[in-house]
Amino acid sequence: MKTVKQFLNSFLLVELLKGLRVTWANMFRRKVTVQFPEERTPQSPRFRGLHALRSYPNGEERCIACKLCEAVCPASAITIEAGPREKDGSRRTTKYEIDLFKCIFCGFCEESCPVDSIVETRIFDYHFENRGEHIMTKEMLLEVGRLNEEQIAADREADAKYR
Amino acid sequence: MGKVHLEIDGNKLEAEVGSMIIEVADKVGIDIPRFCYHKKLSVAANCRMCMVDVSNIPKAVPACATPVAEGMIIQTKTPKAIDAQKSVMEFLLINHPLDCPVCDQGGECELQDLSVGYGEDISRFTEGKRVVEDKNLGPLIATDMTRCIHCTRCVRFGQEVVGIREMGATGRGEHVEIGTYIEGAIESEVSANIIDLCPVGALTAKPSLFKARAWELRQSASIAAHDCLGSNVYVHHRGREIIRVVPRENESINEVWLSDRDRFSYQALTDSERLLKPRIKQNGEWQDTEWETALNAVVSEMKRIIGASNGEDFGVLVGNNITTEESYLAQKFIRGVGCNNIDFRVRRRDFSGDGRGSVRSGFNFPMEKIDHMDATLLIAADLRHEQPLTSLRVRKSTGFGKVMAINPFDGEYNFRLTQELQPEAKMLAQEFAAVLVAADAINPDVLSAEAKEWLNGIEANDTHQQIAKNLVDNEASCILMGVYVQEHPQAEIINWLAESLASVTQSDWGYMTLGCNAAGNKIAGAVPMQSAAGGKSEPGKNAKQMLTSGLKSYFLINCEPDVESVWSKQALQNLQNAECVIALTPFADGRVPEYADIMLPIAGCYETSGTYINVEGKWQSFAASVSAPGDARPGWKVLRVLANLFELSGFDYESSKQVIDELHEKFEAVGDIRVARKVPPPLMQVSEQEASRECLGLYMVDPMVRRAKALQQTPKASTHPISISRVKTI
Repeated sequence: MKTVKQFLNSFLLVELLKGLRVTWANMFRRKVTVQFPEERTPQSPRFRGLHALRSYPNGEERCIACKLCEAVCPASAITIEAGPREKDGSRRTTKYEIDLFKCIFCGFCEESCPVDSIVETRIFDYHFENRGEHIMTKEMLLEVGRLNEEQIAADREADAKYR
Repeated sequence: MGKVHLEIDGNKLEAEVGSMIIEVADKVGIDIPRFCYHKKLSVAANCRMCMVDVSNIPKAVPACATPVAEGMIIQTKTPKAIDAQKSVMEFLLINHPLDCPVCDQGGECELQDLSVGYGEDISRFTEGKRVVEDKNLGPLIATDMTRCIHCTRCVRFGQEVVGIREMGATGRGEHVEIGTYIEGAIESEVSANIIDLCPVGALTAKPSLFKARAWELRQSASIAAHDCLGSNVYVHHRGREIIRVVPRENESINEVWLSDRDRFSYQALTDSERLLKPRIKQNGEWQDTEWETALNAVVSEMKRIIGASNGEDFGVLVGNNITTEESYLAQKFIRGVGCNNIDFRVRRRDFSGDGRGSVRSGFNFPMEKIDHMDATLLIAADLRHEQPLTSLRVRKSTGFGKVMAINPFDGEYNFRLTQELQPEAKMLAQEFAAVLVAADAINPDVLSAEAKEWLNGIEANDTHQQIAKNLVDNEASCILMGVYVQEHPQAEIINWLAESLASVTQSDWGYMTLGCNAAGNKIAGAVPMQSAAGGKSEPGKNAKQMLTSGLKSYFLINCEPDVESVWSKQALQNLQNAECVIALTPFADGRVPEYADIMLPIAGCYETSGTYINVEGKWQSFAASVSAPGDARPGWKVLRVLANLFELSGFDYESSKQVIDELHEKFEAVGDIRVARKVPPPLMQVSEQEASRECLGLYMVDPMVRRAKALQQTPKASTHPISISRVKTI
């Protein structure tokens, strides 16, 4: 009995028709494919992409070299060296580097930061062309922060009530 | 002392009458939170954090200020106690800023730790917080006075332990401020201990300001290398970089303190110019080379000069702060190649006592005993500048005992002297002899006829008699000689006088030495008159002969005779005129590059394993805390390889431990050989000029300290040189 059933199923192309039904059904549905990079999917304000170091509106960097992000980083991707800044003796980093190959984008650094300095932005499409470019230096991170401050601030604002 | 029985948290305990609850609890490991209490300081009971619940007392009482009583039942964890502690914490946190992320104490802060347990997460305080202006306490201590919780540990430390009241509290209540009254740097030589004492981040170390967080640091035990106590320390480092040095508790040596010199000298290793590769001078220009080339150059130069002069024209000078292993290998190596000119005593003028006395230099009694001396006689001891921590010990004894001094210079003391004689430097031996005359008059059975004859004609006045009487009358008495005594032109006479006086008065006696390892150098045999452990040696030239006579070649091991020696001018000239100067040094700056011809980079302090033997004869070994930079190698390895290149036998060491074990075995086999001092030749008058040389200042004693930036910026650094010549104003 089983053999006959199997024979008929394959002879009458039942499986194929079943598959085609899905095809036909989807052919008239709304398209969900996004034409990246011309089109982009919506992102959550909590999206964890490329890192940035924020600055205050007066241009002063926020980071105070407390090294909590370095301590909390599960992948040891952050390296910080600190000391008194020459100009005014305030506590600042002399080196702040994130190794993007090590980073697992967990967002712990962002969470641990007492001054909202290190943040993860919505940027996720970046690439490296040369060896060594995966190390984000302090200048690069500050630059990312400056360029995206508006978005970063808006995202923190949107998420503020849940924090 | 009687005993009382009490109960803390259900543990039945026995305690001495008069002890405080917190002491008893600490002994058995019951934790009571505290800020102002410190076991080495008096009880202030002003933080009120240590509240405990005592039966039959209606309110919680401070454990640090409540003496134990028979049958006391103490609870530290009842709601009453916890409630009191939480309330105190709330008050403390009212004005404490929430700046832990930028505070250097963050991560190792007593307030931070306790606020986790006793603090509330929300502050009820809505009024304005107080802000206190930061004080400038000089180059060693950074302040953030808003963080201060007024525990007054720093104030009590200055007042009680150091005896110099530099910090104090002004104002009352909300307006209390801790400060220096008058703006000015803290000058005491043990000032930085208040950094350790401060339970919050109000006082932090300036040289390591913002450099690292507590959790990044690795800790390794080591021995401080700048005075003859051999203070125990922990070196805190991150990677290769030493971030700070803190005291390691050792009740018999440094207690819980550390002198500023030992604490901040590490800066020299990171901030000064280090020698990273072997260098050879070619046509007046320094060329970096490889070890092989440099070592071969050293070997060929040594063979040439030692061969030509039969070892007479070659001299080895070792520093005061090299490890015992290094000096042992240095002497073994140099004697192996047929040269006996080795010495470390570049500041000695009188070598007539060579071969006499004890092999092990220093004290013949444990340092701890100084605390309990009823009578102490200081001979030319500028304790505060030489051994700051010994000064604290002597100060402790002034509570009940008498401290007397025969000092040829205006000493700065942090304790009160009962008798003081201030002879001119050239008269030091005469004055001291007068004390012995007075002592001999009281106890005439001890001195030999020969000695009595020597003393004949020396008159003792009232002060001498008083000093002698104090030493004889008190059972616990000691005679401490300062570093200058060994630099004095009549050092041997003074040593003999001290030994004789000690036997007449039944006192302990000892002399302090420059640098941390004079005892080690002597035991290792880095002296011309004896080889390792007091063994026999062919006579060789001593430091004075080497530096003043002008040899063809010098071999310096972490030694800068141009600064350190009392013959510095002649030394510099002779070094410059020498055919070949070989220097093993960690540093590439200073004057060594001017006169050296070959420089070999060796590891500095904390970068090499080794052993220091302190003034009381304690052998303290330590491992390297960090690795040496560049191509620098530990000194003992360099010396071993040199010996190997000379194909000497018995140099197959694989670790510094094998080296020290070999020496230790030798020393144990013969013990501390003591050769009785002979009655010296009659007392000759020394000229003013001969005696009144200058002493090395507090922050000039060795190559490392001289290069420590922060120490050099302190007011004390300008006390160099300490002038011995005193102009009598009367």
